[in-house]
Amino acid sequence: MEMTEATLTMQSAKRGRVDPHRSMRAYDADADLMLLHFGPQHPSTHGVFRMDLHLDGEIIVKATPYVGYLHRAVEKLCERLTYVQQTPVVDKNDYVSPMTNEQALTMAFEKLLGVEVPRRARWMRTLFAELQRVASHLLWLGTFALDLGGALGGGSTLFLHCFRERELILDLFEEVTGARFHYNTHLIGGNRHDLPAGFAAKVHSALAIVESRIAEYEVLSLNNGIFQMRSRGVGVLDGELALELGVTGPNLRASGVDHDLRRDAPYGAYDELAVNVVTAQGGDCYARTQVRFGELRESIRLARAAIDGMPEGPICGHKPIRQPGQAKATSGQVYVGIETPRGELGTFVIGGGDTPTCPYRLKIRPPSLHALSALPYILPGATVSDAVAILGSLDPIMGEADR
Amino acid sequence: MAMSEDPPKGKRLPLYDESALPYEHPLYKTLLSVPGLSVAVAPLDMILQWGMTNALWIFPMATSCCGIELMAAAASRVDLDRMGTIVRATPRQADVMVVAGTITVKMAPRVKRLWDQMPEPKWCIAMGSCAISGDFYRDLYSVIPGIDTVLPVDVYIPGCPPNPEGLMHGLMRLQEKVKLAREGGLPTREENPALLDLTRPSVMRFKDPARDPSVTLAQEEAALHATAQDSSDERPVDGPAVTFAPAEARAPDVDGEFEAILAGEFGVTELPKDAPPIVEAARHVELARRLRAAGYRQLVLVAATHYPEKTGAKAQAERFEVTYGLRTIGARSRVALWRVCLAPGESVDTLVGVYAGADWQEREQFDLLGVTFAGHPDLRRLMLSGDWQGHPLRKDYPADKACAPWR
Amino acid sequence: MSALGHGALYGAVLIAVMLSTVAVGIWFERKFAGRMQSRLGPTIVGPMGLLQPLADVVKLLQKEDIIPAGADRALFNLAPVLATIFSLGVAAVLPLSPHMIAADLDIGVVYMLAVGGLMVVPTFMAGWASNNKFALLGGMRAVAQSISYGVPLVLAVLVPVILSGSLSLAGIVRWQSEHHWFALWPVIPGLPAFALYFMAMLAEANRIPFDIPEAESELVAGVTTEYTGAKFTLFYLAEYVHTLVGSAIGAALFFGGWDGPFAPGLHWMVAKTLALFVVVYWVRWTLLRLRSDQLMELCWKWLTPIGVALVLIAAAWVQFAPQGAL
Repeated sequence: MEMTEATLTMQSAKRGRVDPHRSMRAYDADADLMLLHFGPQHPSTHGVFRMDLHLDGEIIVKATPYVGYLHRAVEKLCERLTYVQQTPVVDKNDYVSPMTNEQALTMAFEKLLGVEVPRRARWMRTLFAELQRVASHLLWLGTFALDLGGALGGGSTLFLHCFRERELILDLFEEVTGARFHYNTHLIGGNRHDLPAGFAAKVHSALAIVESRIAEYEVLSLNNGIFQMRSRGVGVLDGELALELGVTGPNLRASGVDHDLRRDAPYGAYDELAVNVVTAQGGDCYARTQVRFGELRESIRLARAAIDGMPEGPICGHKPIRQPGQAKATSGQVYVGIETPRGELGTFVIGGGDTPTCPYRLKIRPPSLHALSALPYILPGATVSDAVAILGSLDPIMGEADR
Repeated sequence: MAMSEDPPKGKRLPLYDESALPYEHPLYKTLLSVPGLSVAVAPLDMILQWGMTNALWIFPMATSCCGIELMAAAASRVDLDRMGTIVRATPRQADVMVVAGTITVKMAPRVKRLWDQMPEPKWCIAMGSCAISGDFYRDLYSVIPGIDTVLPVDVYIPGCPPNPEGLMHGLMRLQEKVKLAREGGLPTREENPALLDLTRPSVMRFKDPARDPSVTLAQEEAALHATAQDSSDERPVDGPAVTFAPAEARAPDVDGEFEAILAGEFGVTELPKDAPPIVEAARHVELARRLRAAGYRQLVLVAATHYPEKTGAKAQAERFEVTYGLRTIGARSRVALWRVCLAPGESVDTLVGVYAGADWQEREQFDLLGVTFAGHPDLRRLMLSGDWQGHPLRKDYPADKACAPWR
Repeated sequence: MSALGHGALYGAVLIAVMLSTVAVGIWFERKFAGRMQSRLGPTIVGPMGLLQPLADVVKLLQKEDIIPAGADRALFNLAPVLATIFSLGVAAVLPLSPHMIAADLDIGVVYMLAVGGLMVVPTFMAGWASNNKFALLGGMRAVAQSISYGVPLVLAVLVPVILSGSLSLAGIVRWQSEHHWFALWPVIPGLPAFALYFMAMLAEANRIPFDIPEAESELVAGVTTEYTGAKFTLFYLAEYVHTLVGSAIGAALFFGGWDGPFAPGLHWMVAKTLALFVVVYWVRWTLLRLRSDQLMELCWKWLTPIGVALVLIAAAWVQFAPQGAL
């Protein structure tokens, strides 16, 4: 899609985009706006996230998000750690989807160090990533329902049902890696743990259960009248703004942009496994739900294909890189982006510096932060109830956004 | 109790009053003051204690990973509701604050405030290693080394994160503790050594006093690497050996189109082998605009890097590099990366006018590295609080938290 | 026995019965919700967790009583007491059996609507006095919601009043036991009027899908955000009593109250009330929550016109239906 600068500017002007930097002095002084501090500790902020909402009655006039309440200095920490020590650290960034965190970081290091990964390891990583996507979307659906329906109501019913199925996936991971999450199973150049005997049958039975219950969840959410009333036309993010803000993943695809790194810039086993990209039109909370439901089904299909076609062979190279001295880079700057359940998780590494065994600079590009940066644009005009729904539908994980 | 048994406290701030008496409900005072009614205290106390231990409502101070396991503990498989524990969103109606996750310097005052808002009697559970000691973030500038530097903690649940069953176990230990406290106060450590691990964190706070202060971290790491190189294991596995590709093969992410634009319109013909090309700071907004029109619709990366001044063999002047990354949308997605070099004090033009998403990314780089972006509409700190001193991702910023306002 | 003595005795019995029913109701709700969510609910405290609500109350009474610094102390303290009084006050006119009525008022229906409608006052008092923005938003939502849903509630209640020609709850039940239940016949104003009553009752009692004044995912705990210990307990109980009494009145107005074969009237009344109570839970643990503007839209664009139509149909039925059909 070729677009000239002139048409882009014209479109922006026509849309009447909200100016997030508009000073409060520019608003009507007699409007008697109420300032509501929403967070950092609030049941629906998905962690520690704060918004200052200026309210006219219940209508949001201006929203100012604040992040950084979970800023754990991961980038500084990673500069101090050797290449082989870092997977446990990034596990904790996006704590709902640790597998893809590890994968992103390991892939960046492999590219920097020029390490090849055996085919079986790439397939295993793809299997893990897709299972993780199922678990992550299930958790998202549950917490989104919680935002809409409350912890003491129908929302919690859907939430607990989603958690029940998520546990099945976690059991699979626990069998492979020994941990429920924070797996630390990716090595530079391969995987640490091989699949146990009989794993394929377990994956199939777990996925069969999950798949059979997706229809139930659809009745409770997508096909439910109240859910539709609460999500249709709420928090509309148009595709152009989403692209400009760097919003990626399901949030971008819900705005009608057909973009998925698994298909468009294949990594892992995706060059051998065809991915059907799920998109939806509308850009509202409902479309975001539709996309994630579609991705649940697609990920189940991909996970099945990955376990069925799992090649034999070694899971890491001849000399597994486990010791700090084995991974050294004197120079090099690489950027690797992969498609996590929340969008493009980019890792930018600069090698070299005084200690060749440590990265000189590591920058993680979190999809959640970019999704949150859309809030000042789409919140004005919505109500406080909508704010909760919109925030939930963007699926932010603060550990990743703040790092 | 001898003072020497206490854990070393470092420069710990006495943020809570450890000598405060335990809360006593006015009902007790009334009963004890009326002569005939004091006989009712013992049976009544049994009932009150039974109620208190069996309805511990949680206030979820959930910040990160442990919060997910806290939710899992309330979910179907473990179901905290079995023991009468439900989660209340408001601190006013909760009994137990479960600190689940890393607490940062920015968050700690809020946690303290929420704790103060909880009604007595109240307890605190530190769930997971971040809440206990700060885990591997504990020495870093933005994380506090354990929630017990802010609040009195009753039960520590180790794990990263603890399983949901672990949380349930912790709650049962808390029930025991509540019962013990009701039955004439908690025994001292000498009387009941088993209680020791309930009242003291499992990890020493702050720095290890045994560590030799003259050895720097870099020296320790160098020693570690020296020993590590000798002991790589030779596992006989069929398959390709690990190969290290030569530097030439590690070409950066540039495609022909980007190179052509760079060379043709911006006069950048020198393409480094393993790093993105360098573009003049004055023309890089123009480049971004040009690339956007060419199909690079998303700004995926703004990363500043600090190169401190060095003398000797690797002499270099202090400089900053800001690396930008753009991505095309749709099939065969490509990334275009370029660098802008800045001397200290120089600023680079903002990309907010071209990509609205540059707003927060540039604020983050300003916050963590102190690179200024000229023309940015709202250049404030993003991650750290506004009164923070220094820019932590600069190489000369101390790695430990010596300069953090927390101390 | 004097009228005063009669009232006091029945009142005391009624309050005791109500509160114990509420305690069992809370236990039942937690078990019921647990089964809906494939978990167990309370199991440890008492046999099958039966004593769990008691433990909750015992614990809540021991908690420190906090009044926020900027709160309006008088209103803050008064609100939970008033809430309890009003919710229990409605129970005075409940016809539990032909002979068990604390106060058989001639205008019982009007009394019930008036006192029930007063519940909004303590709710808003609590929201205003707490000096908390979440509580204030909750209070404002509660006022808008209660006043709006008062209209369809009155219209729904008018249908049995018109059909039976009595303003006394006992009179309406007596008429139904002599003729037929209004939920069954006449079907057209009767059954929709019951549905209307049920929805308005859910809204008045702040139950999902109409629980926006509490809305703990948005407003933390709504009007009760700042309440601790005993005062929170009173709000908690008042809310349950409100739902329970609403279910009982629904049973009396539309399902013939004490009317039923083989068993004493009291048993039938309690059984019907609990059946409706369970439906409230069922709805609560299934549905999501509406937004406040959608709530208003539903009320004024749909429920109120339907209510007016039902009242007209009921009047027409009384006027024109053949004598035997009544």
